Amino acid sequence: MKKKIGVYVCECGPNIADKVDIDKIIETVVAANNSENVEIIGDRHKLLCSAAGKVFLEEEIKNKELTHMVVAACSPRDHNSTFINVCKKTELNPYLYKMVNIREHCAWIIPDKDKATNKAIEYIQGGVARVQYQTELIEKKLDTNPDVLVIGGGIAGIEAAISLAGKKRKVTLIERSAVLGGKSVFLKELLPSQAGKEYINKRIKDLTDNENIQVFLNTEIEKIIGFLGNFEIILSDVTNKDKKTEIKTGATIVATGFGLSDVTEFSNINYDTKDEVYTSLEIEKMLSEKGKLKLSSGVPPKKVGLIHCVGRDEKKYCSQICCNYMMKIANYFKKQSAKIEVKEFYKDLCLPHKDDQKLFNLTKKNGVDLVRIKEVSLNGTKIKYSRIDGTIEENEFDMVVVAPPIIPSDSTKNLSEILDIPLDEFGFFQEAHLSTNPVGTSTDGIFIIGNAQGPRGISNSILMAHAASGQIRTQLIPGEQIVPEVKVSEVLEAFCMGCKNCIDVCCYGAIYFDEIKGISVVNEAICRGCGNCVASCPSGSIRLKHFTNEQIYQEVIEALK
Amino acid sequence: MEKEFIPRITSFVCKWCTYTGADLAGTSRLQYPTSIILLKVLCSSRIDPVFLIKSYLKGADGVLIGGCHPGDCHYETGNYHTRRRFKILTEIFSTLGLPKERLRLSWISASEGPKFAQVSNEFTDKIENLGPNNARENMFL
Ligand SMILES: Cc1cc2nc3c(=O)[nH]c(=O)nc-3n(C[C@H](O)[C@H](O)[C@H](O)COP(=O)(O)OP(=O)(O)OC[C@H]3O[C@@H](n4cnc5c(N)ncnc54)[C@H](O)[C@@H]3O)c2cc1C
Ligand code: SF4
Ligand code: SF4
Ligand code: SF4
Ligand code: FES
Repeated sequence: MKKKIGVYVCECGPNIADKVDIDKIIETVVAANNSENVEIIGDRHKLLCSAAGKVFLEEEIKNKELTHMVVAACSPRDHNSTFINVCKKTELNPYLYKMVNIREHCAWIIPDKDKATNKAIEYIQGGVARVQYQTELIEKKLDTNPDVLVIGGGIAGIEAAISLAGKKRKVTLIERSAVLGGKSVFLKELLPSQAGKEYINKRIKDLTDNENIQVFLNTEIEKIIGFLGNFEIILSDVTNKDKKTEIKTGATIVATGFGLSDVTEFSNINYDTKDEVYTSLEIEKMLSEKGKLKLSSGVPPKKVGLIHCVGRDEKKYCSQICCNYMMKIANYFKKQSAKIEVKEFYKDLCLPHKDDQKLFNLTKKNGVDLVRIKEVSLNGTKIKYSRIDGTIEENEFDMVVVAPPIIPSDSTKNLSEILDIPLDEFGFFQEAHLSTNPVGTSTDGIFIIGNAQGPRGISNSILMAHAASGQIRTQLIPGEQIVPEVKVSEVLEAFCMGCKNCIDVCCYGAIYFDEIKGISVVNEAICRGCGNCVASCPSGSIRLKHFTNEQIYQEVIEALK
Repeated sequence: MEKEFIPRITSFVCKWCTYTGADLAGTSRLQYPTSIILLKVLCSSRIDPVFLIKSYLKGADGVLIGGCHPGDCHYETGNYHTRRRFKILTEIFSTLGLPKERLRLSWISASEGPKFAQVSNEFTDKIENLGPNNARENMFL
């Protein structure tokens, strides 16, 4: 069948029209390609992305019975989807269309009109050559499940569950321990507002009262398979491993929180269990449970030393919240009795929230002695430190409080294997992108929020819960189908040697090994189409649809003519 | 009269960073030479070393690879693979006595329009100094 290729050059007002000779471009492209098998239908238009431009293209495709189409205009980043949607209104498969960028990559960078015209011709010729090697791809629609599994019943998980649950979206929340609320329930006061535990308790009640949320306590995830929109999950009871529950969801949120590092692992911290040394969390628990801070003898302390930032140098990251809560703890003592002498030792102060400075001023006003130091060591309840001016001092206290580094929850490593999502250099879950998508992961449909992603306070944990919830609401709309990526890889069975290189390089785990056939197989629902596996295959057995070697070579050959 | 030598540089770039950087060079009306021929892939990790060899043998005077900065690849670790493959390829070029100076890898982010223009200019100058690639005439492969 003779190919009828429409080549449409957009003027973009003066943007393109003034910079290149459009008529010459069309003339040249038609002359260069017209043959027995190919007919080029070339034309120009003032503004292809306008309503009139879209109708023009639609009519051209229909009336001229185009088999392929090339649009030479702006960057595909601006309007590729515009023209794909035009194709979708016609019989022309959108994968038989190609957009060529003659504005940003041509008209706007080359001042000389002749040179710019030739460059445009070169790019369009590449497009015409390539489009003939493109093949139809059919987009399939998949039904999706809008439901969500939340792993971890701390404040992050609770907020995510409440925000997502609704008539059309059920949420299952699993909590490994026997209680909800995570670490927040141990905190006597909550910075910044000192709202206290009432807030956490209210949210726990909101969660358990919500009929669209099912809570499983003492429960862990055992297995998960699937992809965004369709996950199959097995849960198991911690107290009775044989007790299993199977559920199906469309997305999973990991909110497994944090742990605290054992401070005695650091060489400068030495004490015994009989010494009056407490971690920050132990202090919070003591105050919450007993209402008063006391030594083990039952008498209140008279002289308290607080050490910030234990182990920061060893861990190589700042735990973000300790400066903040250590000042809160210093004030607990001062509130109990202004006579308690409180000395707080810090190397650097991290005050990231807008009212932290106020807390700092208040702490000083309350008479807490904030001492900036270079080095510090603890022996029993004796603290030795060097001030920043170099003077070395040693003080004996009757109670010492240390702020241990925030570390990933102990279940993190195991969970990363079950979920097949990577960890970062510190052992927290690795986000999809630190600045642009901190709640996403390498697997579409699996999200990380709260301290599971890294140390942070309650308000930031809640923000992340809402961020993940927002993404899930737009990605999984109840009743709507999703169109999985079609530009995916496929393994050509006949050539695969079974070397598994491709499996090693794919960071999405989209390729599995078929032991019986001895070959690798791509799971199209997971593949993102990066093409890494293609470049890794020694036998050329993988094809990336729409970016095949053949298609790319056409452009190379054309470029080098 | 000898014809003016305009190098041909096949430039394989990833959609997310370097292609967008090139767009920005355009929107900022920066100038860079017509020698740069952009070929878009989704990720630099799609760039099979064979593309470079093929370009070279077909007569490309230079080959440029552009991707996101290490750590910024939109497919996680894709560009680390690109970097390794590029290293291996340049070693092979050296071993075979082929001019590895004709190959270049640059990390150019979406916001680095000026860097894209600068790399294009620099690399074109370099290739102009090296002169045309006569592999097409010399090689029988
Ligand atoms: C001493 C101290 C004082 C603090 N003071 C403040 C303050 O004043 N203001 C403030 O904003 N923040 C404060 N914080 C920080 C605050 O505690 C955290 O920001 C908050 O607890 C984070 O909530 P989360 O849900 O991410 O994690 P977590 O509270 O750690 O909750 C995680 C939950 O997940 C569960 N879990 C773990 N693994 C699994 C698994 N595999 N399967 C199922 N469930 C699992 C855990 O049992 C836990 O219930 C303080 C922290 C400390 C240590
Ligand atoms: S399609 Fe692109 S090039 Fe054409 S008018 Fe619209 S913006 Fe300009
Ligand atoms: S194209 Fe990328 S995501 Fe798809 S299978 Fe290959 S390496 Fe994995
Ligand atoms: S890299 Fe190629 S040959 Fe090796 S297992 Fe994958 S598809 Fe098969
Ligand atoms: S997406 Fe740019 S290098 Fe991978």
